[in-house]
Amino acid sequence: MNLSKSTQTLIGGVSAAVLLSTASIAEASGRLSSPIPDWTGGAVTCKVAQLILENELDYNVKAITMPSGAGVYEAIAAGDLDYACESWPSYSSSKDIMIKEFGGDGSVAYLGPVGIIGVSTYYVPRYFIEEVAPDLKSYKELNKYKEHFATLETGDKGRLIACPTPAWECDDQKRLDLLGVDFVAVELGTETAAWAEAQGAYDRKEPFLLYAWEPHWIHAKLDLVAIELPAHDPEKWPATGWAEDVTFNYGNPVFAQEHPEASALLGNMNLTNGEQAKMVLAVDVEGRDIDEVVSEWLAANEDIWRPWLP
Amino acid sequence: MNPDFSGDNPWFAGKDARRLGLFALILAGFLVSLLLVRSAEEVTELPRSISDPFTFAEWVNQAEIWLKENYRWFTRMIAGEIETALYFVEDFLLDSPWLFILMLLVLPALYFGGLPLALLTVAGGLFWGGVGMWEASMQTLALMGMAVILSIALGVTLGILCSQSDRFELVLKPVLDTMQTMPAFVYLLPAVFFFGIGGPPAILATMIYALPPVVRLTNLGIRQISPETLEAARSFGATRLQILFKLQIPMSLPSIMMGINQTIMMALGLVILATFIGAEGLGSEVWKAIYKLKVGWSLEGGICIVFMAIIFDRLSMAISNRQKIPLPASSMRFHLLPQSWEVHSWATAVERPISLVWKACAACFGWCVDRLAHGLAMVVRVTGDSRSESVRNFISSHKFLFGSIIVLTAILLIDRFGFRIGGFPEALTFSFREPVDAGVKWLSSNPTFIAFTKGLRAVIYLGLLNPLNIYLTHIPWYVVVIVLGLVGWISVGRNFGITCITLLMFIGACDLWTEAMLTLSSVLVSVFVCFAFGLPIGVLAAHSRRFDMFLRPILDAMQTLPSFVYLIPVLMFFGGNIVSAVIATVVYAMPPVIRLTTLGISQIPVTYTEVASSFGSTGMQTLGKVKFPMALPSIMLGLNQAVMMALAMQVVTPLIGGGGLGRDVFNALNISDTGYGLAAGTGIVLLAIILDRLSQAWTRTQRKALGL
Repeated sequence: MNLSKSTQTLIGGVSAAVLLSTASIAEASGRLSSPIPDWTGGAVTCKVAQLILENELDYNVKAITMPSGAGVYEAIAAGDLDYACESWPSYSSSKDIMIKEFGGDGSVAYLGPVGIIGVSTYYVPRYFIEEVAPDLKSYKELNKYKEHFATLETGDKGRLIACPTPAWECDDQKRLDLLGVDFVAVELGTETAAWAEAQGAYDRKEPFLLYAWEPHWIHAKLDLVAIELPAHDPEKWPATGWAEDVTFNYGNPVFAQEHPEASALLGNMNLTNGEQAKMVLAVDVEGRDIDEVVSEWLAANEDIWRPWLP
Repeated sequence: MNPDFSGDNPWFAGKDARRLGLFALILAGFLVSLLLVRSAEEVTELPRSISDPFTFAEWVNQAEIWLKENYRWFTRMIAGEIETALYFVEDFLLDSPWLFILMLLVLPALYFGGLPLALLTVAGGLFWGGVGMWEASMQTLALMGMAVILSIALGVTLGILCSQSDRFELVLKPVLDTMQTMPAFVYLLPAVFFFGIGGPPAILATMIYALPPVVRLTNLGIRQISPETLEAARSFGATRLQILFKLQIPMSLPSIMMGINQTIMMALGLVILATFIGAEGLGSEVWKAIYKLKVGWSLEGGICIVFMAIIFDRLSMAISNRQKIPLPASSMRFHLLPQSWEVHSWATAVERPISLVWKACAACFGWCVDRLAHGLAMVVRVTGDSRSESVRNFISSHKFLFGSIIVLTAILLIDRFGFRIGGFPEALTFSFREPVDAGVKWLSSNPTFIAFTKGLRAVIYLGLLNPLNIYLTHIPWYVVVIVLGLVGWISVGRNFGITCITLLMFIGACDLWTEAMLTLSSVLVSVFVCFAFGLPIGVLAAHSRRFDMFLRPILDAMQTLPSFVYLIPVLMFFGGNIVSAVIATVVYAMPPVIRLTTLGISQIPVTYTEVASSFGSTGMQTLGKVKFPMALPSIMLGLNQAVMMALAMQVVTPLIGGGGLGRDVFNALNISDTGYGLAAGTGIVLLAIILDRLSQAWTRTQRKALGL
């Protein structure tokens, strides 16, 4: 190497700095790593947990950007990540393979509910109800307006932007067929694709029927109205609406054993939809920094989160 | 070069009767197949008796479990080593003053590529920092740098081994084909288990994809050396190793550099996928932006990647063909503009001040380096006069290198003792997120534009995609197998015909027949649309230099901009469906069609076209009857590349509603079923192998017919 002199001094300095910083971290009660969920609600929940872990239990959490899904479960089972927040039972088929409580092999540990309760159903934009279909309230009226939702590919049937992937086990097409709704369920592969298409149609004020859930940031951007489905009934599934999603935290089994305090906190959390929505609004609509928003919330709501501490 | 305009070339007149017979035969066959399709009640699949006992996915999963239990410690150890090295590089890039890193990139660019490349590098660096992605860019640089360096080390070694043993080459070739075409989504999840998350698995996944070109081109370069040269060396008594290291490798350096160039470009193509396994950098910036539908933000990240790709592409090109064209003493050397613009007086006026500054800088640094040489020589004199002289000579003959060291040291000293430079300054930041977002919103609600997108969608769906989908999925599987087998036999050879049949049977036995046919249909339609738009554009560029100059950077960007960036606008404009998948594929696969058409036409010697027009042929006639046929080999190469790129894109399009094998790969990723993913991925690989060999064979036939 030709630049040896200058680089060597520099590298020396850098490695000394790295050593120093790792030494100071080692003094904390532990170093944890966790993925940052890619949806704002999950990111807020995770940030709440992270800041409590860091401020109250003296942990140092390394947060990693990683798309949610099977990859996160694999990484937790392998021990590369210690814990993850706000898993939605409906959308994580890996739980059935890996978490004992859901019939899996126990390579991932269930830590406890988060407090966020999710509800999934079909939505249409409000302008469509107001301008075209004031009587559209439940799935029963969908056939009456199906030609508004028809496209080139669906012919005379309506089009539903369905659950993006079969891995989520929504069975949209079966539901539509069983309920006699004359629509075609189109799977777009990713939820992002569904939001992108809905956003484009929304900008053009076109009608669309969209599978979505609450709480979700898309409702901050698009004014959507829920379409009523029959109440959830496991016997009649999938000819019914969805069960409520009791979201939960999960982690590596070894982490759960070695860090009882941290895993107790993650199990005791009870963040309500309303509290999360406040923070999501501040981040997504007001465009504020998530760290700042969550820190403020923690400072103002000690009575809510103090009881979660072990 | 003596094209035979009347011989057995099927594109020209002659042997009409035989050709007519062949066409009639093909037409009849097509009509029969249409009848078969009409009479088919449902989509065709291989009989259960074949596909049921063939549980390929299950076998793979069992092998994976066995590997996980027995070899994880080993893969983890490798990952640990790579991680240490990666963190080292990453910390160095992140903790150094930004100006230092920028100069570290600019100086080699200046040395090898001159002022234009240096300015491009400066622009790239300012863009990275300007849009607030300096850190992310450094992380990507570290990641890709490691992946490329490891690929080069391993790839050159494998390439040399290949060149020494025909048997090794024979074994390695299909492995390389598979590595290049196997969708990364297939091995991304197992990589997490074996190599952890973050840098190490991302580097290894990148290497799998980016390694083949450097192996191939090293092998090719060494094998291309003429036997006479080797004979001469042998007659002087050189041993095999001497020949290898002193003759073959140095002589094949240009070819190796070409391979390195391609490896760099391919590695940068995987930046976004690395995010899926937790690697930080530009990829995760783009992914975060896409997730929230922020087109402007993702475009900023995408352009950062484009800059990185173009800078390293040009730099490695410049290193591989570095030669200064000697100039007549009377003319002034141009630093910024092309030397051929000398004839314009304004260009000389622009260059004059640049030349002055250039000379001043050279003189200034020359003086500094001389002082340094003198000083160091004085210090070394203690150990002896001769050594002192050689130090002075060494420094004086490496002026640029030592000048660079002075600059870099100066920056470090200023940063440490004077004015703190640190990270990228706030004051230089800018952003165009909002105008881009506003533009996309305006377009997606613009009635004229939406009428155009709807029309295009209708034409593609009703005219091409839907009929072809129905045709290919309903035509009995054995007909497809036999026809493709025959085509393979006729155009390549008997062995390939048999291979074709075996590969197709494998796909069918994995229960993926319908999906494979949908993928094939999507690829064929995409390539067709690529040609429908790409050929006229390519012809236009060949005839107008100005249009060509305008087109070049756009094509560069289209080829290196991560496809994820334009997926969101495509969805907003066209909705999510199989047509959107075709459109995204066309955007990705069109550049080689345009480039190679332009190249093919502009390579034709002027004499041919002059002869044609002297016989009174019109411009259109010359184009249709002389230029096109002569450019055909080049255009066919474009076809080959477009097909391969369209196939590669089939793994990305399921993200926006595409179907076929790509969707199965993606579904398998969602339920972490490696076997299922590997079966579907193998399906794509096999289709790629078949289509690649067939189109290559056709290119060869064309070349032969033209006597090239």
